[in-house]
Amino acid sequence: MKRRIYHIVVCTVLLTTLSCSDDFVDVDSLNPASDNFFNTEEDYQQALIGAYDLLQTTYLNVMLGEIASDNTLAGGESATDVIGIQQIDDMIHTPSNAQLRDIWGWMFSGINRANFILEFQDKIDFAGKNEVLAQARFLRAYYYFELVKFFGDVPLVVDERVLFGDQFEVDRNPSAEVYAQIEEDLQFAADNLPVTQIQAGRITKGAALALLGKVFLYQDKFSEAIVPLENVINSGAYSLIDDYSTMFENDNENNAESVFEIQYTDKEGAGFDCLQCSEGNIAVGFNGIRNYQGPEFDSGFSFNVPTQDAFDAFEAGDVRRNEAILDIEQWADSTGATFSTGYEHTGYFNRKYIARKGDLGTGDANLTNPNNYRSIRYADVLLMAAEALNRSGQDDPKALVYVNQVRTRAGLDEISSTGASLTDAIYQERRVELVGEGHRFFDLVRTGRASTEIPGFQAGKHELFPIPQIEIELAGNRWEQNPGY
Amino acid sequence: MNTIRTFFVLLFLSSISFAQSSQVSGTVVSQVDGFPIPGVSVIIKGESRGTVTDFDGNFTIDNLQLPSTLVFSYVGFITQEILVSSDEAISVQLVEDVAKLDEVVVVGYGTQKKKEVTGAVSVVSSETIETLKPARIEQALQGQVAGVNITSSSGAPGAALDIRIRGVSTNGDNRPLILLDGAVIEDLSVVSPGDIENITVLKDATAGIYGVRAANGVILITTKSGRKEMPLQGEFDFYTGFQETTREIPLLNATEYALLRNEALAANGQSPFYTNVSGLGQGTDWQDEVFETAPITNYNLNLRGGTEKSTYALGVSYFNQDGIVGGDKSNFNRYTSRLNLGTELFEDFNVKGLITFTHQNRRTISEGGLGSVLFNALNIDPTITPRQADGSFSRALNYPIEVINPLAQIANTFNNTEVNKLNGVLGANYTFLNNFKATANYQWNYSEVIGKGFFPVVDFGNPGANTVFDRLDFATVNESNQYFRDYTFDAFLNYDNTFNDVHKVSATFGTSIFKTTGDFYGRTGENVQAQGLADAEVDNAVTILDNFQNLDNRIFDTRLLSYFGRIQYDFKERYLFSALVRRDGSSIFGPENKFGIFYAFSAGWIISDEEFFNSDGAINFLKIRGSGGKIGNDRIPAFRFVSLIDGEGTYVFDDELFFGNATGAIANPEIKWEEQNTYDGGVEANFFNNKLRITSDYFYRETEDLLLPVQTSLVTGANAPGSGVPIVNAGSVKNEGIEFQIKYREDISDSFSFDAGFNVTWLDNEVLEVNNGLGFEQDAFFGIGQPEPIARMQVGQPLGVFYGYQTDGIFQTQAEVDAHASQSDLGADAQPGDLRYVDQNGDGEINLEDRTFVGDPIPDATFGLNINFNFKAFDFQSYFFASLGNDIVRNYDRNDPITNKTIYALDRWTGPGSTNENPRVTTGATTNNVFSDYYVEDGSFIRAQNIQLGYSLPENVLEKIRLTRARFYVSVNNLFTLTEYRGYDPAASSGAPLGAGIDGGFYPNPRTFLIGTNLKF
Repeated sequence: MKRRIYHIVVCTVLLTTLSCSDDFVDVDSLNPASDNFFNTEEDYQQALIGAYDLLQTTYLNVMLGEIASDNTLAGGESATDVIGIQQIDDMIHTPSNAQLRDIWGWMFSGINRANFILEFQDKIDFAGKNEVLAQARFLRAYYYFELVKFFGDVPLVVDERVLFGDQFEVDRNPSAEVYAQIEEDLQFAADNLPVTQIQAGRITKGAALALLGKVFLYQDKFSEAIVPLENVINSGAYSLIDDYSTMFENDNENNAESVFEIQYTDKEGAGFDCLQCSEGNIAVGFNGIRNYQGPEFDSGFSFNVPTQDAFDAFEAGDVRRNEAILDIEQWADSTGATFSTGYEHTGYFNRKYIARKGDLGTGDANLTNPNNYRSIRYADVLLMAAEALNRSGQDDPKALVYVNQVRTRAGLDEISSTGASLTDAIYQERRVELVGEGHRFFDLVRTGRASTEIPGFQAGKHELFPIPQIEIELAGNRWEQNPGY
Repeated sequence: MNTIRTFFVLLFLSSISFAQSSQVSGTVVSQVDGFPIPGVSVIIKGESRGTVTDFDGNFTIDNLQLPSTLVFSYVGFITQEILVSSDEAISVQLVEDVAKLDEVVVVGYGTQKKKEVTGAVSVVSSETIETLKPARIEQALQGQVAGVNITSSSGAPGAALDIRIRGVSTNGDNRPLILLDGAVIEDLSVVSPGDIENITVLKDATAGIYGVRAANGVILITTKSGRKEMPLQGEFDFYTGFQETTREIPLLNATEYALLRNEALAANGQSPFYTNVSGLGQGTDWQDEVFETAPITNYNLNLRGGTEKSTYALGVSYFNQDGIVGGDKSNFNRYTSRLNLGTELFEDFNVKGLITFTHQNRRTISEGGLGSVLFNALNIDPTITPRQADGSFSRALNYPIEVINPLAQIANTFNNTEVNKLNGVLGANYTFLNNFKATANYQWNYSEVIGKGFFPVVDFGNPGANTVFDRLDFATVNESNQYFRDYTFDAFLNYDNTFNDVHKVSATFGTSIFKTTGDFYGRTGENVQAQGLADAEVDNAVTILDNFQNLDNRIFDTRLLSYFGRIQYDFKERYLFSALVRRDGSSIFGPENKFGIFYAFSAGWIISDEEFFNSDGAINFLKIRGSGGKIGNDRIPAFRFVSLIDGEGTYVFDDELFFGNATGAIANPEIKWEEQNTYDGGVEANFFNNKLRITSDYFYRETEDLLLPVQTSLVTGANAPGSGVPIVNAGSVKNEGIEFQIKYREDISDSFSFDAGFNVTWLDNEVLEVNNGLGFEQDAFFGIGQPEPIARMQVGQPLGVFYGYQTDGIFQTQAEVDAHASQSDLGADAQPGDLRYVDQNGDGEINLEDRTFVGDPIPDATFGLNINFNFKAFDFQSYFFASLGNDIVRNYDRNDPITNKTIYALDRWTGPGSTNENPRVTTGATTNNVFSDYYVEDGSFIRAQNIQLGYSLPENVLEKIRLTRARFYVSVNNLFTLTEYRGYDPAASSGAPLGAGIDGGFYPNPRTFLIGTNLKF
């Protein structure tokens, strides 16, 4: 009998387990699946923050916009320090440039995150949804604008994510199509965003309009550019701040002149293994003075060093020169500071965006500088409006008013030229007002002056950067490389 | 299910009747010395009934039907069958099993006689472990088991070792499945080597009984247990000793360094840094400063025995090891206690229970690359003294590079990781109807890992931007708690029967479920006032951050559900066949691909048992065997088949961090099992009265649908914060090789015996396919800021092959430079004295396209050799290991004009004709630092792993002190290494398949001198 009981016990145990259901291995993640998200307003807001995140990676776009131009040299420790940056400086960059691939991927990451929200825009309704969608569309436009500036024709994907496998299907769309989408997105953003936002750093109507004007300008659509730019000017929401020297300081962020500003902080650490994860402005650490010890500034990696040519571009008496470009020898002499010279040392540093004392120094301190990037300043808007008015041939006197507002603030005399000489004056004013802010290379390209101003620049080739070769291959080898590469 | 039920019903219906029977008793003694053997198993053949001999070797069996055959078996002796036809007392003499053919081998959910095993299985016994005295268990496998290669990425106390069975098959996870008494175990450091009875390594398709997790081989570890009727036996092991570095890399002294630094400046037209070098002398030997002699101690006590119905074993151990770099800042210590009980609860119903508690602590210093303590010691300026006049550490002032005083670095390192682990096994088995045995085992692990790190405010003095080591702002403290829980529940039924005395059938079928979960907590406290670990508390910090914003990083839950079956059949114990199948379901894969079926077949022929074979001749035993099958691998992170909201989306508004949401790693819904087709053919032969034993295997493993994290188009957003590349079944790798093992034992006289073993494994590894659009994957960087990784997985090449420029000597003159392809694309124009790179594509420019394959980290062959002598009371043992044909990358030099250098810098190029080997020094831009074959060396080596001399007290003394054995020994681990490699340790390797053989300044494995004792009572 006992034996029989054992049999029953053993067999029951075996049979119970043998019939253990296959559902045992169905385990759900604690995180929602992305197809199952967007069930509350909070979900949309959270995803929107994710889409904003990639703005911080545009530090590299800004650096390269200067280094590729005649404003600055690559610098760094040695000729092989971040070789991709060195090659772009020398106009010998190739399709295997690592930094260009970073930009390609980061911008598409931002687009995917914006498209993620837009893919699910109809899932639920809530008050203020349009404002969320408007920010997402601005962000998509911002990232796409960066892509067309760098690479020309790029895959245009609207309101859906590029999922794994889709990369073999997306084609490069003509840049005109991309621009059309950017314009549509920015118009939607401008129509649905408030003039002012409660939180500093949020996209405003003015930011959308200013970027829209800029996008028109890049396509030489001068008449179209005038409207949104003048809308910004006439909104009264922005003004030039009086003291140019305070513009780029950390205690003067999101000031009256700032139309759109990318936000950075030193409140979270960062490392070289994930630059895109940093919440700080990496360009600032890279641009910093090499091995600096002294007042006001912190050390950095001595990249992006202004040329003598850029220093000399300022007229005598221009208050902006010494605020934009730090003459390190003179500074060291007057303050007793010490530093060391890196590669391509010119004696100058990009003072607008070099590391300053007073931040938390969260490790790695070179990657966590909190300096916000003033992406679109009111001075830029004025100069763009002036350029649009002048180059469209519509209203030189009004253009002069805008240019002279900028010159007056810089402590310079007003000018009164017209026509082509006014165009040149506006170009010159853009260079000195915006030096160090990442616009120069693209301004030279769009105005057709790059081949005369940038050593090594080959017309017909260097207007665009090459599509990263590995990206062509990983998308199935279907895309043509940009001309000349 | 119905068939199973019917089967059991039929079993119940069958009834057993007992016939007339007698009582038989007897004694079992050893043939060698005539002493009685307690604990011998006495089983009635054809029934499962039996008994074991008592302390005096006596046994009694009731109700024995006459005639009957009794089977006597005992570990280490040849099993004997005796036909009993009367109830007279019998006397049995057991013969020692020299050839160990009757040794029982664990083969997964069952055991098999070694003789009858048809797979490639190797066993490492407790004797070997006892001799080698490994600080870690993995070391006991190195050179012992053909086909198993152990590499260490660090010689630091407590550092994990990497086990590779028959090569690396994937760019992903190559770790074998390790089961400790049936429970899955990832970290072997928690086990005391002294607790181990044996280690079995399943190397071929027969490991397929473990299905989806068997592709990288299976290691089964059995801990010591007692036996029934076994008198109390105790073992006490103790050793203590010290460790030192095996090598210091010869560096420039202060004067040489200063002269070279001046020369580098002069070469670039700069004025000298040292205007007077005459007083500099030798300067500081930084390696002498950081290396120290460090203690190591181990105690292990084991008690075991058994009564008529029960067995018991218990063990306690303590191990403590300081590091040869960092001393007690690089320490590992461990306490274990273990209790193993088994009892026959009712007739034929046995239960067992095992519980092990481990407590360990580990402290580490920065090691293994740029910024590590040894890297700093190798590269820092030797003109700096370690300490300043006031006793404080010297600072690296005027040293504007990220190299610091390594002593100050050690002093400012504060961390501790504590592990508390509880491991348990609860099992029952029931033998019924003579031929059936049902087993259910529940094995579980619980561990908590408590980590803490304190980072004080410190300024190492480097001027300027090179403050990566400095914390100038505030002190920080990290605390982390990780909890791991897993269980494995196995239930299986074994059936054994022999029909007509010639058809022997064993069948096993069952189920196994495995679930592992964990949850992690971690906080960082910024701005904390504290002096060290003891008083640094996150709660006292000004700012407290939660390190686990993301739920999927904080919690995991992975499961496996399996059914398996195996049939073994042998005819006349000569023709052996086995087939197995396993169905596995894993939570790792998506709904379409969750389940997979794996299988294996094997066969063997014991030729020496054939009638035509004279096994008393030169060849005493001869077996050929072969196996083949398909096994799997699921070692990838969970949920990679579905896109989740687990990315990082953080932005700043109003100067505050806002944590949003984003999608994480790129999902690939199609991922499925990685499959390996594996074949093995082997021969086992014993010669000359079993004194000489040879085992040899040929194996071929081809892994398909490799689960690889592959480069992917960034249009998918794969480089967004918190995202990552997808895992794709994207490749195929082949490992093919031959293993050969020979052992010889000769008892020359009563007082002198000799035994030797030698094994060799030749391995050929080749990548057959990489389907990511590029044809290769790459990883692992050289030096600083170089554009491309240097290790590749590329079709036609071994996994991890080094990819860089090929050098062709040194440019001697400007004319030579001008005549050669331009090297300026690498960052600078070449000058006389620079390395000349080969223009592979002949386009007149040296650029990334001119890289080629410049080295292979996988050894062509590995060898193990051990030679042992016993002479009277003395014993001598030696173990050697050799590795041939593995290349290694010298990546421990900062290669900066102002860092210190190894002495081959003295043989640099100084002018035309001076040398064609080493380039010039200069502070100017050069391309000599790009990765080329100049930095690749042959890492072949021969190492004396262990050499020891022991003395055992004679028996007459032992009797007086009531011991059965007392052995005292001196032992040296890692005594010498013969190699041409210039770094610390040619055996060093990062565990990663891409990155293996790249030496960033590994923490060397120490040379260890030990004295110790083994006592048995």
